[in-house]
Parts: sequence; C-alpha cells; structure tokens
Amino acid sequence: MAKARELRRRIRSVENTRQITKTMEMVATSKLKRAQDRVAAARPYAAALAELLADLYSRDLAERFPLLRQPAGAARRVALLLITSNRGLCGAFNGNLIREARQRMAELEGAGTEVELHGIGRKGIGFFRYVGRALASQRQDIGDRPTPAHAAEVMGPLMDRFAGGELDAVEVVYAQFKSPLSTPPAVMRILPVTPPAGAARRIGGPADRRGPRAAQPPIRPSAPNYILRPSGDEIVGAILPLYVRNQMFRALVETAAAEQGARRTAMKNATDSAGDMIDALRRTFNRARQAQITQEIAEIVGGAEALKG
Amino acid sequence: MRVTVISPERAVYDGDATAVVVPAYDGKVGILPRHAPFMTLLGSGELVVRQESGAATFTVRGGFLQVRNDTVRIVAESVHQGGS
Repeated sequence: MAKARELRRRIRSVENTRQITKTMEMVATSKLKRAQDRVAAARPYAAALAELLADLYSRDLAERFPLLRQPAGAARRVALLLITSNRGLCGAFNGNLIREARQRMAELEGAGTEVELHGIGRKGIGFFRYVGRALASQRQDIGDRPTPAHAAEVMGPLMDRFAGGELDAVEVVYAQFKSPLSTPPAVMRILPVTPPAGAARRIGGPADRRGPRAAQPPIRPSAPNYILRPSGDEIVGAILPLYVRNQMFRALVETAAAEQGARRTAMKNATDSAGDMIDALRRTFNRARQAQITQEIAEIVGGAEALKG
Repeated sequence: MRVTVISPERAVYDGDATAVVVPAYDGKVGILPRHAPFMTLLGSGELVVRQESGAATFTVRGGFLQVRNDTVRIVAESVHQGGS
C-alpha cells in the first residue's frame, strides 16, 4: 500500500509541473508571435538604410568618415557586447550565447587584442560575474521589447570612443532569429561599418556581371542620378550613425524574439517529458494496485479456507 | 504617387498621396507627383502627407528622404503620429 501512495504523490507532483511548463509554453508562444512581428516590422527601415548606403558608398569615403575606418593592422582594443536574456528556462539559449562570446574572446585575445566586455541581459552578466571577469558596462533593463532608444543608449558612447580612436572595433554576440526553432548565436561586427552588400545584388546592372568580386561594393555613381542635397558625402555622414544604431537595434530585437522561440521549444520538450513520465508512473501505479488487490483476495480466500477447517 | 513613412520599428504609413511636405535639414520641401530622383536629409518637424481626401500628419526627426520612380520614401529615426 505504501508504494501505491508514494506513486500517487509523484504523479500528482509531475502533473503540477506539467501544468506550469504548459502554461509557460503558451505564454512564450504568444510573446513569440509579437516579437516575430516586431522583427518583421523593423525590416523596411533596415533595408532602406542599407540601400541608401549601398547607393552612395564608395571606397574612398572610408578615409573621411571615422565610422568607416578600418583598423590599420591588427585591432588593439575591441568592445564585445553580449546580449542574453533576463530570464532562464529557455533551454541552451543563454548557454549558447555565452559560449559563442567566450570563443570570440579567446580568438581575439589569442591574436593579442584587448577585449572589453559589455553585458546586456541578466544571464550573461551573471555568468561573467561568476567566473570573475570584469564587465566594462552592464544593462539589465532591456526586456522583451527593445526600443531604438535602448540601442542608441548602448551604441552612443561606443561610437564616440570608436570615432576617437580608442576602440578598433565593436562586435556584438546575439541570437539570430532564423525561425522560432533555429536561433543560432552569431557575432556581428557593428564598427567599423561594413558597407551593406546589397549594392551588387539590388540592381541588375553591370555590377552584377563582375562576379564574386562585386561583393565589395563597386565604385559607381549614385544609382538613378539623384539630386543630392546637401551632398552625397554629407548624407552618408549623417546616415552612418543611424545605420550603426539600427544594427544594434536589430540585434536586440532578434535576440528578444529568439529567446521566446527557444523558451517555447524548451517548455514544449519539458511538457512532453512530463507527459511521458506520468504515463510510466501511472503504469507502475496500476501494477502496484493490482498486485495489492490480488494479494488481498488471496488473503481473504486463505482466511475463509482456514475458518472452514 | 506612392509614399511610405518608415520608422526604425515599423512602416508607419504606406499609401498613395497627392503631395508631401517634408521637413528637410534646411527647411521644408514639397514633393509633388513625378518629382525627379531626389535625396536629402531630414531635419525635425512636421511631415504632411496629402491624400485625395484629407491629410495625415506626423512629427519626424532625423533620417532621410528619397524620391525615385514616383515613390517617396521618408525614413526617419523617430516618427510620431500627429503634428507638433
């Protein structure tokens, strides 16, 4: 009897857990939907900026704009931003991001580059505090709904320091949102600005025929003979910071969506496992119950026999 | 002509218009249909999109304006509905 009661208690406990994970799965699903919409809605802006830069970019601009300056030789000092979630229970999501960041750090430090680490999101910050690595800055207040203002706050000081020559590059480790099921961690170099590769792809003009080398945007007059005011250079100069901030914003938005995707998957797996566990426990419980009944019958029959005696 | 107003978060307006008045960096610019390809920086101020009936007003800041193929694209760093 003791065994059956024990089993019943465990079944109830697993059922409760399943209820919780199931709810979390549903919450993540609805948040995912909204986060996904935000990722999609942010695309036109990014595309418009990329198109403009691709149109107006020429290689000799690089010398004039500090945000385009490629480091001479090996980078000496690089800022690495790590975006993680504020909450756990999303499977290997944060672990993957942290691993990616450590890999990149090892790579950079192996090449003799000084890395300053910036943490966004509680989980990454917590990990690096645990291993005793100092963070240059940290933010935990950017939640499920990153705004362009968040991105601007994060990038502002870094852009100034990059323009001032203090930093040679700014990179961000974030989760790409390929689909709710595929959210691989990735490293994106935000500064120096890599001119968008759209230039060769977008127009079916002569640029396309240059073959693979066209990946480096060709020097060409601004596409359909625009009237430019004030001037192409000044427009590029004014738009570059917007582009940089938007790269950061995109990384934040994608990571936020990826987190919900990862959580939904993790919670779905947990719910399924709980279901399997309940099935197994219930089977054991039924067997124990049956064994007990059989035993009781045997005892009664035995007792009756003895009375007849 | 077609007009789209795009903010970092989403496309705020996408539709036909008969005229647009845009706050450029050096003053207001009016765009009518069949304008030549044009690009300029935005300042901050009121953006008015006139349709056949009525008009939509936004407050914008920073970004650029692009006119091409009778399509006007206003890409601004911040866009709010309504005038200032």
